[in-house]
Amino acid sequence: MTDRKGFFDLSGNRLSRRTALKGLAAGAGLAVAPGFVRYAQAQSSEPIRIGFQAHRTGIGAAYGRWYERTTNAAVKAINDAGGINGRPIEIIVEDDGTDAARGAEVVAKFANQHKTDIVYGTLFSHVVIASAPTAGELKIPYYVVSEGYHVASGKMNRWCLQPGITDVRAQVTSVAPWIAANAGKKVTMIFPDYAFGYDHRDYLPPAIEKAGGKVVAQIAIPPTESSFTKYFPQIPAETEVIYHVMVGPAVLTFVKELGDFYGSNGPKLFGFIDSLEAVDINSPGLEYLDGSHFWEGSPRYAQAGDSEAEKAYRAAVGIDDNGAAVGDAKDVSTAAHMFGCWETLYVIKKAMEDASYKGPQDRAKLVEATEALTEFAEGPEHPQGKKVFNGKIHQVFGSQNISKLEGGKLNVVHKTTIEDGLYEPEADYTTQPL
Amino acid sequence: MPAPFDAGVSALWRDCEVPLPLAGRDKGWGSAPSVKQRRDMLCLLAVIAPLLPTSAFAHASDRGHVLLLPTGYYLLGGAVAVAVSFLVLALLPATAPARLWRRRLPLFKVGEGARLAVSLLSFAVFAALIVAGFVGSRDPLSNPLPLTIWTLLWAGLVLVQGLLGDIWRWLNPWYGPWRLAVGLLGPRAPWRLPAWLGCWPAFVLFFAFAWFELVDPAPDDPARLATAAGLYWLVSFAAMLAFGYRPWSRKGEFLTLFFTMVARFGVVERTGRRFVLCLPGAKLFGAAPLAASGMAFILLALSSVSFDGLSKTFFWLGRFGVNPLDYPGRTALMGIGAFGLVLTFLLLAGAFLLAVWLGQRLAGDGVPFGRAAGLLVWSIVPIALAYHVAHYLTALLVDGQYALVALSDPFARGWNLIGTAHLHVSAGIVAGAHSAWWLWNVQAGAIVAGHVLAVLVAHGLAARLHGGARGTVFSQVPLTLLMVAYTVFGLWLLSAPAV
Repeated sequence: MTDRKGFFDLSGNRLSRRTALKGLAAGAGLAVAPGFVRYAQAQSSEPIRIGFQAHRTGIGAAYGRWYERTTNAAVKAINDAGGINGRPIEIIVEDDGTDAARGAEVVAKFANQHKTDIVYGTLFSHVVIASAPTAGELKIPYYVVSEGYHVASGKMNRWCLQPGITDVRAQVTSVAPWIAANAGKKVTMIFPDYAFGYDHRDYLPPAIEKAGGKVVAQIAIPPTESSFTKYFPQIPAETEVIYHVMVGPAVLTFVKELGDFYGSNGPKLFGFIDSLEAVDINSPGLEYLDGSHFWEGSPRYAQAGDSEAEKAYRAAVGIDDNGAAVGDAKDVSTAAHMFGCWETLYVIKKAMEDASYKGPQDRAKLVEATEALTEFAEGPEHPQGKKVFNGKIHQVFGSQNISKLEGGKLNVVHKTTIEDGLYEPEADYTTQPL
Repeated sequence: MPAPFDAGVSALWRDCEVPLPLAGRDKGWGSAPSVKQRRDMLCLLAVIAPLLPTSAFAHASDRGHVLLLPTGYYLLGGAVAVAVSFLVLALLPATAPARLWRRRLPLFKVGEGARLAVSLLSFAVFAALIVAGFVGSRDPLSNPLPLTIWTLLWAGLVLVQGLLGDIWRWLNPWYGPWRLAVGLLGPRAPWRLPAWLGCWPAFVLFFAFAWFELVDPAPDDPARLATAAGLYWLVSFAAMLAFGYRPWSRKGEFLTLFFTMVARFGVVERTGRRFVLCLPGAKLFGAAPLAASGMAFILLALSSVSFDGLSKTFFWLGRFGVNPLDYPGRTALMGIGAFGLVLTFLLLAGAFLLAVWLGQRLAGDGVPFGRAAGLLVWSIVPIALAYHVAHYLTALLVDGQYALVALSDPFARGWNLIGTAHLHVSAGIVAGAHSAWWLWNVQAGAIVAGHVLAVLVAHGLAARLHGGARGTVFSQVPLTLLMVAYTVFGLWLLSAPAV
């Protein structure tokens, strides 16, 4: 549950909804008190209102549920520690239905109707791409947790920022050296034949070549395909590693058929966990993945060397050592991505504090303060690891995890450096007027 | 002699049972951007989207587990089961199933006194939910209005109605207020609905409802739904005052018509004040032939839920060049959705009428086509109910939990009215390979059982139409083929790749 009551629904270390509402009710009481009290209240502890553009229904609902839980956990942690500039955060949820047009409507609703301070939390690229123009037009900061390269590419606008999750170009670029050095130098790529697959198609080959390897084949699979055996003969015999980024319901079929095709003598496999986010990695049909490697933004499974910050983050969000909801082992989280919500909210906090943010009149200052940020240290606010922020392209950079599936778990075997994922910026949003 | 059947239900449907004209006697939300802004944004999106990189979160989803199940055998098995049940019936005396299904077990008597109180309470809850829709949480999974209407009422109550009987008769939120209103205004309605209108107003409103549920971009939005549901209540109430409660409930108020249709399948029957137990579908044997509008209404009930499943399949989306892995959302698919909703209705209605017509030709005993179609259309009810079960099962299991939480705190004030405000919603109940297996089996079981019962009901109704065994069996061959095909279609919908 979310919205006003949103940050009260936390599994594990929950903030009691009743307790928190007592706080809200007290605030409401003061808001109707005589004028000077009300003014003083507005200055000191009226909530910062964050409009959460959530995928509550539609194709993104499984991700949306975990983005919401992570958001609630971060808001609780921030509020427990005194909020932002002494003011608590209040989350206002609007469902965009994972629908591009509704996304834009929701941003307008936050700006005009709810009068939130900012808009935050969007995951699906098509919703971000449709919503960003509205955010720019209405001059409301729009913090997305979308992973796509669209923000860094310069095609959004000054009001759209992605400070809490790395983009797919950086992810692809940073895993290439490890693939070439450890999995194999001759790479065959299998990807869905549309924009998401094209990011991998375009960014992996140069990075692999730079690392001394070569992409020997690129096999694009039509998005509506549900059987894949006919494509496997296209995989060259010299292939040492198959780089796969299939998504959608047919992923399990893809893995099973690949296993049936190769038996026990196939090339090594490297995949992106995007394929299997929120899916039990030990599901029937996925046996062939045993021993293969995956990119993970943040590890699904608790690791032996987890920092205290990481442990605290997992407990706060309510995921167990297997990355599933505490007490609901089949509800597997979207761990590789959802940490971005937590970290984005802390970036917003930092930027608001730097800008001495008081209300919507300071929105432009908030954007500038965010752009001025350069580095986030690893710790409770950034449990996934240290980050570097490029204010010109509004994009954060961080290290990536490469995990091996063994014994039914994904164990991190390598962490890339931040430098592994850096690329030449193609834009500078700071030149646009605010 | 038809078995006795639910008096209320039969009365409700009587108005749909007018002669067929062609067949003879028997025969805002919110402050959204301006239109221009929105158009501009969509144009921009259409232009730039293909050029932009995107992240892909097309969830592997639980359909992925179903894709690995041997669903092909289920499709085959389901088809065989339906065909075999027809053959078994063909070997039995024509009236044998009807005799069995005519058995009744008296239960208890209930007076009508509580009906007014329950309806008024239901209205009060409905009114509170409308208020919650406007002032409660903006989150459709926290606000009790969308969860009550779409999950508890549309997914849940339909099931209860279908399995038990006409509970809606008590829960109806119009009855109580109408009784109070006529107490003040007098019992006479100023106008009469013309007989030729049949149930067409209800059909039109049901179609609008289906469009809102399946095509509208934001049927879950609390304020949008509160506006739609509140307006519908008011308009219906005004119509009941204008034309009378019973006439409008029979011809215009689609929910009551739909619920009473589904209740025909339930195992509890009301005869006067007494409740009796009967076999599932038994009340359908006693149905009277429907006019064209009643037929269309029943066929729309099945076609709309069928389209809901179809519209999410890769097959359907692929026909229109929509990439299901990059699903754009409902707004971009509104035209396709409206087209599909109409198309599935026309195809189903066409196939049904063709099957009945062919059956009449095969029977060759001169039973009028309109009377046959109007009677046999009742056999669609078990199928519609089975589709409903299969289609809404997962939503009911998960969103039903959200509904319990939301109802405890309807206005987001921190209340805990029914002690469920802090319930942890277990989404895992429908997740994973194991859940996918049992959900698939329940869904497939419902689809096959629904069709087998449909064959049984159609057989019983055909026996009424034709009397003799030969006419009964021959008349049912085409309709049975249609039901076999629809079994396969229904199972395919549940097992095909879908978003």
